[in-house]
Amino acid sequence: MASLVAPTPPRAASTALRVDRPPWGAIVAFLLPAFTVYVAFTAYPVLRTLWNSVRTVLPRNAEFVGLANYAALARDDLFWRAVQNTFVWACVSPLAEVTIGLLLALALYARIPGRRFFRIAWFTPVLMSYIVVGIIWVWIYNYDWGAANALLRAVGLGAYVQAWIGDPRVALPSLIFVTTWMWTGFNMVVLLAAMHSLPSEVLEAAELDNCGWAAKLWHVVIPLIRPTILNLVVLSFIGKMKIFDLVWITTKGGPLWSTETVSTYLYKRAFEWSTFDLGYPSTIAVVWFVIVLAGVLGLTWLFRTRERLEY
Amino acid sequence: MRTLRWLVAVLAVTFASAALGQQVKLTFWSHWAAEKIKRDFVEEAIRRFEAAHPNVKIEATWYEKNALYAALKTALRAGTGPDIFYAEPDQVEYMENGLLLDLSPLDWSGIEPWAKQIWTYKGKPYGLPLEAWTIELYYNKKALADLGVTVPASLQLSAGSFTDLVKKARAKSMTPMSLGVGDRPFPGAFLVHEALVKKLGLEDYANLLAGKLSWSDPRVVDTLKLVRSWTEAGLLPTTFTTLKLGESHTYFYANPGAATFLMGSFYSSRAFNPPDKGGEPAGFQVGIMKYPAVPQGACEECRTLAVGGSYVVNAGTKNPREAIEFLDAFVDPAMANRWLENVVVQTGLKADLSKIGGPHAAYLKELFAADANAKYFFGLPNQRMQGKPKEVFTQVFNNAFPAGTISVEDAVKQMNAAYAR
Repeated sequence: MASLVAPTPPRAASTALRVDRPPWGAIVAFLLPAFTVYVAFTAYPVLRTLWNSVRTVLPRNAEFVGLANYAALARDDLFWRAVQNTFVWACVSPLAEVTIGLLLALALYARIPGRRFFRIAWFTPVLMSYIVVGIIWVWIYNYDWGAANALLRAVGLGAYVQAWIGDPRVALPSLIFVTTWMWTGFNMVVLLAAMHSLPSEVLEAAELDNCGWAAKLWHVVIPLIRPTILNLVVLSFIGKMKIFDLVWITTKGGPLWSTETVSTYLYKRAFEWSTFDLGYPSTIAVVWFVIVLAGVLGLTWLFRTRERLEY
Repeated sequence: MRTLRWLVAVLAVTFASAALGQQVKLTFWSHWAAEKIKRDFVEEAIRRFEAAHPNVKIEATWYEKNALYAALKTALRAGTGPDIFYAEPDQVEYMENGLLLDLSPLDWSGIEPWAKQIWTYKGKPYGLPLEAWTIELYYNKKALADLGVTVPASLQLSAGSFTDLVKKARAKSMTPMSLGVGDRPFPGAFLVHEALVKKLGLEDYANLLAGKLSWSDPRVVDTLKLVRSWTEAGLLPTTFTTLKLGESHTYFYANPGAATFLMGSFYSSRAFNPPDKGGEPAGFQVGIMKYPAVPQGACEECRTLAVGGSYVVNAGTKNPREAIEFLDAFVDPAMANRWLENVVVQTGLKADLSKIGGPHAAYLKELFAADANAKYFFGLPNQRMQGKPKEVFTQVFNNAFPAGTISVEDAVKQMNAAYAR
């Protein structure tokens, strides 16, 4: 009589089966903390902001208002003023920071005398917080005794002395100058690192071809460090689209909204307009998130490398 | 015997726990962490109240104003706010959202009626108006004597005399008026709203702030032109837009010095500190005059009176009776006198002025003389406005207009647009 009992699988095969099964316990144990933090501090706030943006959110009362907040935002001239200022800042700053940073990096790459000192001096501003930088520059821009006006008076340009952050015509450029001063050193260091990692044979080949300094920079160095430049531009762009601290410390968005950014306006609407409503500020946050995302995608598309570089 | 001792011990612990259970703890959040005189006054009041009410313990937490407001916005929304907290009457959002306890049971007979009125919302009072202040035109007695300017017995210069003062001061390279808006949204606007309240009178000025009177009204435009004529004559420091409130005080009485200083009567909280802590230098003689008369003004005796630091009770408190009892403990002429003598700024509590003493009694006498026969407009514009009009008023009249970076026409246009729906 044939046995109906199935043969017992060999011990080795059983072990192999167990090994092939994903170790769910370990996966959950490792992922859960990070997942919990992500859900609590990123996903939930984002979803909650979206939820709030179509409501009037008051203590103990959240009323659905549909797209009314979005319609009001479209008509909000102060918001569009803030958008304009922020865009100007986010477009001008990356260009200035990366361009000046590139020139400084080239200077160091060319081993100018005192390069160690300059590397530290140019990089130092980045080590300070916006709060400290803001306070320092409020002093520098002081009309009576600030360094900026003192310098102008000293070199006989007293006619150009002005209230740098008190005059709506020059307040925004004055603050853009501050962020440029602050972040150029960071760009310089990153670009210098990128230059040092360039393949020497390509540069030597260019020299053998009698390639001049400018041509080597334009046709060899910049194309090779283009991904780094792109990253720096995107980082700077995102940073300026979110800028808050410096404005808050120096001008609080004034005078006459000339330095109002979307972040400062959002804060004012949330905490300084004598209302508890978080719906409208959430709408600003959602719209601005979409705009920033579109800007980053646009920049990436603009700078994308069409042809793969080979060296 | 040993068992008996254990039994007694257990019973003692049980009774002690029960007694502790009856202890009421009130949480109390207040501004003035860095303003020692005011903090000392409130802490003394807490000590006295706790001594008189052994079953109540008040747990005080002191903040700076911005940090307090941010903490309250979150805590009240989450239902975890303190039982009693600091507030100012412009924070109507608290009342609008039902977050404050109706303080009708408070002993209002010991509180000035105007102070109650400022804290009344839809017929119910919500705040204990501890601190009040007026806008005063302080002047350096010696500087004005040097300029040959005499303050009349009425304590009020005409607009023309004030223009002369400005010109004389500038001619001697002295700043005519110290004022700065580097860190506050209101001092620069003192210039305009003190002039407007005199020109329009109480009712029309209230209508103007409420958007019921156009900013294109010829009286408003004329007043703005008058103020502009002063600023164009060099009234303000060149550092006006970045000068901070504390700095504007020392600018007036110390370095570099100014002839006058348009400031809230909380001037004393900085000026009466020792000189090495930013106070007036020894021998400095401060005088108080009224804001200059405005040509064809409807109410030259009109001026602003604001209620500042106040205490309110959280509508969600579990101990409303004790919280109100604590606020009631402030309502006492002796407490009001103690506030006046120590803090040297007005209060919404009724005081016995005949008994005011202390080292600043002469200053207080001069302050009350400047306020004599005044008709008060209650609250600053930025306390009465909300939303966009408040934002535009602050940007235009606290900063740009006094700084001369916006014309009268544009200022009027901006304000009218702010009220347009």
